[in-house]
Amino acid sequence: MKPIIVLVKQILDPRGITVRRDKERVFINREDYIIDPGSLAAIEAAVQIKSLLNVEIAAISLGPPRAEDALREALALGCDAAYLLSDPAFEEADAAAAVRIITSAIRKIGGTDLILLGQKASDTCSGQMGPRLAEALDFLQVTGVSELTVEETALHAKRTWRNEQAAISSPLPAVVTIAAGAFPERLPHGARIMSAYRVWSVTVWDKDELDLEESDLAPGLVFRGESFPSPLPEGEILKGDPASLVHDLVAELRQHRIIQ
Amino acid sequence: MDFSYLDMWNETPGQEEGEAAVEGDRNVWMFAETVDGDLHPAALEGMGQARELADAIGVYAYGVLLGAENAQHAEALIAGGADRVLVAGDPLHPDQLVAYQPEIFTLALAALIKQYRPEIFLLPATDLGNDLAPRLAHHLSTGLISHCVKVEMDMAERLLVGTCPVLGGEVYHAFTIPLLRPQMATLEPGYYHSPVPSTSRTGEIQQVDLDLDSTAGRLTWSKNSTASETTPVRQKDKLRHARVVVAGGRGMGNEAGFALVRELAAALDASVAGSRGAFDQGWITEDEIVGVSGETIAPDLYIACGLSGEIYHTFSIQDARFIVAINTDQNAPIMKGANIALVADARQVIPGIIDAVKENRIVQSV
Repeated sequence: MKPIIVLVKQILDPRGITVRRDKERVFINREDYIIDPGSLAAIEAAVQIKSLLNVEIAAISLGPPRAEDALREALALGCDAAYLLSDPAFEEADAAAAVRIITSAIRKIGGTDLILLGQKASDTCSGQMGPRLAEALDFLQVTGVSELTVEETALHAKRTWRNEQAAISSPLPAVVTIAAGAFPERLPHGARIMSAYRVWSVTVWDKDELDLEESDLAPGLVFRGESFPSPLPEGEILKGDPASLVHDLVAELRQHRIIQ
Repeated sequence: MDFSYLDMWNETPGQEEGEAAVEGDRNVWMFAETVDGDLHPAALEGMGQARELADAIGVYAYGVLLGAENAQHAEALIAGGADRVLVAGDPLHPDQLVAYQPEIFTLALAALIKQYRPEIFLLPATDLGNDLAPRLAHHLSTGLISHCVKVEMDMAERLLVGTCPVLGGEVYHAFTIPLLRPQMATLEPGYYHSPVPSTSRTGEIQQVDLDLDSTAGRLTWSKNSTASETTPVRQKDKLRHARVVVAGGRGMGNEAGFALVRELAAALDASVAGSRGAFDQGWITEDEIVGVSGETIAPDLYIACGLSGEIYHTFSIQDARFIVAINTDQNAPIMKGANIALVADARQVIPGIIDAVKENRIVQSV
């Protein structure tokens, strides 16, 4: 079996970000970068498959040089090889251009029968990568998966579809996107952490090594500006001693017909 | 002066002439999703938007139905704003469009788009639309603005401007697709008014025959499989479907403090949840964390105790119908979004609340 490919996206840790809708500003209090939760879930899904099938996992990340940290972490979590696709020319890439960059890398690696990634990244929230990648490679796709088993030539998945559980089977090759919250991550093995940083290497490929032209990288989507949702409505603010607070709360809940 | 813009004006089809729509890179389409033979509510919401966008630039609004058996919905789309409804089917292989297949739906819509060349193509941001739209956009080598909460025309440049949530919905980014056609967008359901149906509206219904006998790969679907019934319900799934959730954060102080959260949950027959902070303290299991993975829960009642509500947490509970927050800090983010905010140490008020709720009962549907 060809290696499973996992796409790993590095994002700014949202715990270091505060959004003030009233001030219409985003404050970055702490500039920490983490693996996107969807990518972590995809890595865990791949590691579970690897534990049952004789298959290797290649992690690919498209990003600036600092994304190497995310790939080292992916190695520590159980991936066998790591590829960083990094070039200043990639910085403006939208989903379509990112797919062109990543498909080029997948071909260079020697192809795959299964690609795993998060359903949507928590920063851009667009959810376009999986289906676009499937179309680019002429693979089938199953998105938003919460359970997954993989055989030599097919996969069986479960997802929420129109508020119900659906079971979906697909022949390979396929792209599978993992639903938020599925496949909770495990802590990496200590020895793997050491090896990930000291022994194993991350292969870095730029635009020329991926044989990409400027025209492959031109974004179709153009950013127009930032705005903010209206500030959340101010609710009732209750103050006082504990007994009167409980009394007021019960009265409010009655009034809103939450309790009777 | 430059009067070249008048040429564009002249090419715009005049609706008063009553002629069939002029084709080619002009009209605004909405993909009308159907569910088990019914029109998805998002289809009509989108039809209303397609109508408004089409009016803004003086072109026709189209509804697009896949599957000949869905022709029955054409009138509803016309009443909702469509000038023309395309009903695409494959007469030789009528089963092709019954169950959703990403490749086949992509090929069917791409065939229509190549034939009629819409300027703008809208789809709903439903499970189906989110799966299909990016694939179709890639097939057509065009751009897609996903999950739009607002779509409008930039009249100066005649461009669709789509506004979509980023950073867990706390910020909106607007995008355009200046060079590629059609300009595609998915519309987040529930953000747009359903058009008031007007039965006096007239429109044309056109059957389009496609040949979908392709070698495209196929998924096998089964709903509610026996396998899933035997799968034990994960705590996370329980939380996702809970009607009442009581959550605690670091403000509960210690394990004994957090026990009050569990007691309150028990009294309310509610599920227990907590912040990442509560997990880090070892007070809750991983499955009980709300606001780390980007998924949302939508209980009727959410009670947040001693929990400040960092960005992911508030995002995760945005669909909760009624939020009670108890926190000593009136300015904590969770307090801003709450329907009722109690400025207090949760540990001091929860015992009283437990006593009070034992004497009352939760209304079945908030």
